[in-house]
Amino acid sequence: MWIRHNRVWLGKGLLLLVILLLCGITALGCIGIKSTPEGGSGGAVANGVLYLCPILKSAGGMGCAAPATEAKLVAVNTSGSYLWDVLLETSKPAGGMGCAAPTSSAAIYGTPAINVEEGLVYVGSYNGKIYAINASSGALRWVYPRQGNLQPIAGGAEVALGKVYIGSSDGKLYALDAATGDEEWEFQTGDKIWSTPAIDGDTLYIGSFDKKLYALSAIDGSKKWEFETEGAIISTPLIYDNSVYVGSFDRYFYAIDATDGSLIWKFKAENWFWARPVVCNNTIYAGCLDGRVYALNIKNGDKVAEFDLGSPISSSPVSVGSSIIVASEEGKVYSIDTGNNQKRELKDLEAKVYAPLCFSNGVVYIYANDQTLYALNVQTGVSLWSLPVTGK
Amino acid sequence: MGIWDLIIVQPMINALIALSGYLFNSLGLSIILLTVIVNGLMLRLTQKQLKASKAMQEVQPKLAELQKKHPKDKQKLAQEQMKMYKESGMSPAGCLVPMLIQMPIWIALYQSIMRLVAVIPENFLSLSQYLYSWPIVYSTLPLGNSFLWLNLARGDMLLALLVGGTMWMQQKMVMPATADPKQQAQGKMMLWMMPMMFALFTLSFPSGLALFWVTSNVIRIVIQYFATGWGGLVGAAAQKRVIRDKKYKRRIAQVEEASLDEADIGADITEPSSAQEEGLSYEESGGKRQDRGGGTPTRLRAIRRRPRRSKGHRPKRR
Repeated sequence: MWIRHNRVWLGKGLLLLVILLLCGITALGCIGIKSTPEGGSGGAVANGVLYLCPILKSAGGMGCAAPATEAKLVAVNTSGSYLWDVLLETSKPAGGMGCAAPTSSAAIYGTPAINVEEGLVYVGSYNGKIYAINASSGALRWVYPRQGNLQPIAGGAEVALGKVYIGSSDGKLYALDAATGDEEWEFQTGDKIWSTPAIDGDTLYIGSFDKKLYALSAIDGSKKWEFETEGAIISTPLIYDNSVYVGSFDRYFYAIDATDGSLIWKFKAENWFWARPVVCNNTIYAGCLDGRVYALNIKNGDKVAEFDLGSPISSSPVSVGSSIIVASEEGKVYSIDTGNNQKRELKDLEAKVYAPLCFSNGVVYIYANDQTLYALNVQTGVSLWSLPVTGK
Repeated sequence: MGIWDLIIVQPMINALIALSGYLFNSLGLSIILLTVIVNGLMLRLTQKQLKASKAMQEVQPKLAELQKKHPKDKQKLAQEQMKMYKESGMSPAGCLVPMLIQMPIWIALYQSIMRLVAVIPENFLSLSQYLYSWPIVYSTLPLGNSFLWLNLARGDMLLALLVGGTMWMQQKMVMPATADPKQQAQGKMMLWMMPMMFALFTLSFPSGLALFWVTSNVIRIVIQYFATGWGGLVGAAAQKRVIRDKKYKRRIAQVEEASLDEADIGADITEPSSAQEEGLSYEESGGKRQDRGGGTPTRLRAIRRRPRRSKGHRPKRR
């Protein structure tokens, strides 16, 4: 009798276990991985105003389904006061249990590009829209495309020659009229573009997931040359003294002749290059996801020094006089003296840092993952002010 | 990096990338190959489980006999049943063991796919910390997220139907035939609930994970076929026939009952009942006939004597 009863209970128990297991898949599957893009850009300063797009941090239910969040462009006075924000788009939560890739999110990763002449700020959103906003009032001037969406935009925009240049996950680089948003031309690469373009004169340089760096005419989009690496290129190229410096996912950092695209030298690190390099005192400083900043001789790529920051460097450093200010993912901010190649810790923000750093008038602005904008004195590392900047 | 990432996610990510490197940079193909490898490693366990299922099917008639043999002595019946289960090496939890083992693989696969296909920058950025220093890993990335008609990062309706369909088929093949109505109901619920839930998950999770499920189901169907044949799939047709016959017998019984009130019952009629003819228990054939003690009305004898139940043929009522 007891066995018969036990069998019934065993059957029910097994059924319950199956249900729990299946629910567990959902819960555990979502833990430890983000299913919705959060965005969060670096800051850009013009006329005493800093523009940035906040992180859309949110989690609902089991951490899978994200509630609707609002993508904004925020304007902050460099003295630390909030000026205005403008709502660009409302992200809709992903369908179902939200564990699959979202179909639409208005997260913004690229640092806003400022057009001082037109008085406009440009941002590209992960929902595939490019916005031009009045830098003074926050009013929307134009949006591209006017109907529908492009593929997600993860890089930033660049303004030059009366045009706005921005890449998309559809592999295209778009050149739009800076004043009206009309498309001037587009250039198709072989895979996603998450890199921010760099412009020198009338040449534009852009990296793609197709492992190539392209040099294009910024006027008509015609290709001048291409340079193939062994990995995707997400890092924004640095152009200096007729050379292009860029890191790739093949762990190499390349110096390429800007005229014909030929290799000058390359340097191998231990992991991907994500951040844009900087140059100071004829030395290239390249932050790598292996947690080190490599100081490389600009002429031959020889390693001058390396600085272990202890955690990956995805945030682009800034050059301030004879120093480099760099932040590690863990939130530690360092100053590297390029004279003696010594590093010193300026500040531990105790929050993760992914966004590029921004420097203006002796102050470095860091937007950390705790949704706070920090203003630090570059000499002392003293926190001048901090301001919560959220997507809500 | 935690222990989970270190021993499960990281090897899986690197294995998927390396496999993709040899398989035309196709993440879809590498997921299929990974599924084959995982199922290959679990082959012994799967075979053991299939044997247990087959044993479960084989002991069903004996169970029925036991129930007939000990209709009142429940303790004795339970002892005998226990003995039989032990002898045949059955384990009711057997079917869940492979699922439990695969659970971490599913979760790790989900986490790997979300990172590998560069769905969102945050995940792709974190991927860099999971890579071994193998040259092939760095030269293969990034992986495309297209495979056949699928976007491996998103759910897909057709794949959901495939997951549900193959899972139903596989479950049906494994499901033991049982005479116990409670177990039948439970089995039926499991048969439909699991495929439906997995189909629903397929819509919500990346297709890459569902590709693992559907490939795994197909492999198990093939293994099952070679081990035990079509099993419950063929049995389903037979079961339908049994149900139809039961209905038929019930109808006869109803007609008999109705005619008992009118007809004269001859005490000398000792023709065996339909249930006895078929070797079924009275309980199965409608219950109450055992105690009735009466005979069959003359006009029904003709119906009984007709050859019946061949290829679903139903005798015409006169």
